[in-house]
This record gives sequence, structure tokens and C-alpha cells, in this order.
Amino acid sequence: MTEDNFEDFLKKAAQSYNTPPARTPRDDMWSAIQAQRAAGPHVIYGGGSLTAQTPARRFGSRIWIGAAAAAVLLLATGVGLGRWSARSTGPSAAVVVGPPKTGSGPDAGDRTPETVVPGGTSGLASTQTGGAGGGEALPPREPLRIDGTHRPAAFDGTDGKVAVTAPSLNSSSNSTSNTGNSAYQITTVRHLSEAEALLTSFRTRSTTDQQMDAQLGSWARQLLSNTRLLLDSPVANDPQRRPLLEDLELVLVQIVQLSPGSTPQDREMIEKTLRQDHVMTRLRTAIPAGSQRGS
Amino acid sequence: MQMVAYESRSSVNDIQLITRVVAGDAAAERELYEMYVDRIYRLAFRLAGDDELARDFTQATFIRAFEKIGSFRGESSLSTWLHSIGVSVALNGLRKTKRQRNREAPMEEGLTVGSTRIEADPDLKERLARAIDSLADKYRTVFVMHDVEGYTHEEISGTLNIPIGTSKSHLFQARSKLRVALADFAPEWAS
Repeated sequence: MTEDNFEDFLKKAAQSYNTPPARTPRDDMWSAIQAQRAAGPHVIYGGGSLTAQTPARRFGSRIWIGAAAAAVLLLATGVGLGRWSARSTGPSAAVVVGPPKTGSGPDAGDRTPETVVPGGTSGLASTQTGGAGGGEALPPREPLRIDGTHRPAAFDGTDGKVAVTAPSLNSSSNSTSNTGNSAYQITTVRHLSEAEALLTSFRTRSTTDQQMDAQLGSWARQLLSNTRLLLDSPVANDPQRRPLLEDLELVLVQIVQLSPGSTPQDREMIEKTLRQDHVMTRLRTAIPAGSQRGS
Repeated sequence: MQMVAYESRSSVNDIQLITRVVAGDAAAERELYEMYVDRIYRLAFRLAGDDELARDFTQATFIRAFEKIGSFRGESSLSTWLHSIGVSVALNGLRKTKRQRNREAPMEEGLTVGSTRIEADPDLKERLARAIDSLADKYRTVFVMHDVEGYTHEEISGTLNIPIGTSKSHLFQARSKLRVALADFAPEWAS
């Protein structure tokens, strides 16, 4: 009995709980429903009427998109700055130059430059494989790799390969600078020695041996590339070395341009250049006595 | 709309009305709204205790109903289906607003909310309201629907998608808690 009394008491008392208004605001809610259905599905509770949430959500999406774009931009800028600073101030890139393959014949006259890959702005990008004019292909050698600053390779003195990290031009360390100068010096001497060997082979070749001309042309092409690299390097700051390298470049260009059908006058012109400019003499003078020659 | 899929629980009038709404008949939408808006609004107001919230819940209920009515298969009556949406919208909305108000409530106000203040309130109406508010959602919803708004256990079962026995159990639990909370007023119902 007491339980039934409590239920009745509770039902009566509970009627006062959150008593709704006598009149339902039908028209107001219907208008809000129509407006909301026209605007979009999202609602915000507690505003008395449905409020479109779409603009806020769009704004939030834009914030995230903008933040993502800013993050990507910042990352790209950081990577770019890092690469730029590494190029401009960091230690130079490794330079690896393979020596010409020494074959049979006098003074390596049949050696054939195989791969020369200068980089960047030097404008040199020649690659040859095997001897021209039907020469047999030679085993692959270490390629020449150089970065955009075209610092020349240095000879490491071991097994005929050159693999030297060239120093930075802006280095403030004396030891680093000395090491770099030595590397350039060794590279230059080696290059000049090879050039001397090439020119000697050219002067002593048979005038009727067109196959030899083709092989010499290939060899000269490699040396021409390295000559231009040296001209773009600190070696060219030497007032004696630069004219020599420029004259050597001219002669090498003439040899490269020799074709099997070239006339004796063309060869004579090269000989004349060699004589007039004393290229051979200057080359031998520039190569210190006792230094390793073009092997 | 597969009319043949409707079960007998949906009346012929409901089926015809739904068919027109699905076909895009604006007058049918308004008709459906007028048929059920009072009960939906009253229940929303009972649960929310706030006119603005009740309006929002009611509007959201009908918006969602118009969006989903194409998937209505007549497995329950249209009234039950609408009330299911309404209760779901109201309870979810109340949870959101409760969290928001808790975040916005100042520290001092939070400290004053406790049993001491409830016990100090001698008014039965206020005491009962606080006691009902303190019930868990599942108990409070069943209690409001049954004892306040007069829904049957069958209707509550269909609306909340719970067995009838569970509805009765929830009501029993709610009444027991309220009895304890209103123990000071025992002489009023014992007499």
C-alpha cells in the first residue's frame, strides 16, 4: 500500500519536472527547420534555433589546410637553405677521376679515355666508350664525378686512381688550404703529364694511320674536358699555368676535330701551334722533375 | 520506397504519408510535422528542461527524420521511429551541452554542487527535480517517459530499443533511487 502511495505521489510530483510550455512553438520551429535544411545539415545546440555550422567548419578546414601548406613550405625552405649552404660553404664534393687505361704501344698511344662526365656549368658533357674508329672496348674505369663548382680531382697516388676531396675555396684553415693546394698541384701535374704524352704521341704518329688518329682524338677529348675543369679551378689563378692550359685547350680542340679525312694541312696547323707557342717546352717545364708522369 | 516491405505496425495513413514525403511533397512533410511535433517537443523539453534546447532537439529530430525517411522500412510505427530519433538527439545533445557547461563552470560554482545543498533545500519540487536530474540517463529517460509523459513500456521499449523487461527494470531502479532521495518527505505519501 505504501508502495502504491509512493508511485502516485511521485507521478503527481513529477509533473512539475521540466514542465513544458502549454503552447508548442510550431511555426517558429518549422521555419527554423526549413532554413536549416536549406543551409546544411549541421546544428549547434542551445542557440534557440538551429544555426548552420558549415561556415565554422569551413573556416576550420581552411586553418588546417593553411597550416599544412605552411608546414610544407617551411620544410621545403629548410631543405633548400640546407642544400644551398652545403654548396656554398661546406667541404667540397668528392672528385673521382679514373686514369687513362694504359694499353700496348709506345707511351700508351692506344689508351682510350672511356668516361668523362664533367658536371654543371662547364658545358662539358662528353662520354665515350671504347676507342673510336673500331678500337676495342676497354674495361670500365672509375668515372669522374664533380659537383657544380668544377673543382678538379686530385691524384691519390694509389693504384692509378684519383679520389680526392677538393678543399673549399673559402676555407680559413691553413692546413686545409695547404692540403687543397697540394691536391690541385698533384692533379695539375698529372694532367700536364698526360697532355705531354698525348702530344708526343701525336707528333710521332704515322701520318697514314687513321686508326691512331681516332684513338688520339678520343684521348684528347678526355684531356680537353679535364683541361677546362682545371681552367675553372683555382689552378687557373696561377699566372703561368693559365696561359699554358689555354694553349693546351686550343691544341686539344684541334686534335679532337681531326677527322679521318682531314688533310695534311690540318695536322701541320697543329704542329705549327705546338711550335709557335712552345707548348711542349712549357709542358715539360711545368712538370717537376721526378714527378710521376702520365701513367 | 518498397511499400510491400512495410509491416503491419505502420498504419496505412503512416505509409501513405511517408510515401508522399519521400516523393518530395512539402505539404506531406508539414503534415507529418504537425502530427508529431507536440509529443516530440514535450519529451525534449522534459529531458532538457530548457526551451532553447528543446526547440533545437525537436528541429534536429525532424530534420534527421526527413533525411532518413527514405530508409524507413516500417519495422516499427512512425511514431516510435520518430521518438527514437528524438530521444537519441536529445540525449546526445545533452551530453554535449553538459560537457560544455562543465568546462565553462567556474570553480566556486562547481564546489557548491553537492549533497549538502540538496539536503538543505526544503522544497519538494526542487528536491525532486535535482533527484531526477541526478539519475543516470537510462533511468531518467524511462522515468520521464513513463511516469511523467505517460508512455507505455511497449512504447518505451520500441523507442529506446530495449526489451520491455529492461524498461520496467529501469523504471523500478529510478523509483527506488528517488524514494531514497525523497525519504525526508515520506510522511507525505505514507499518509
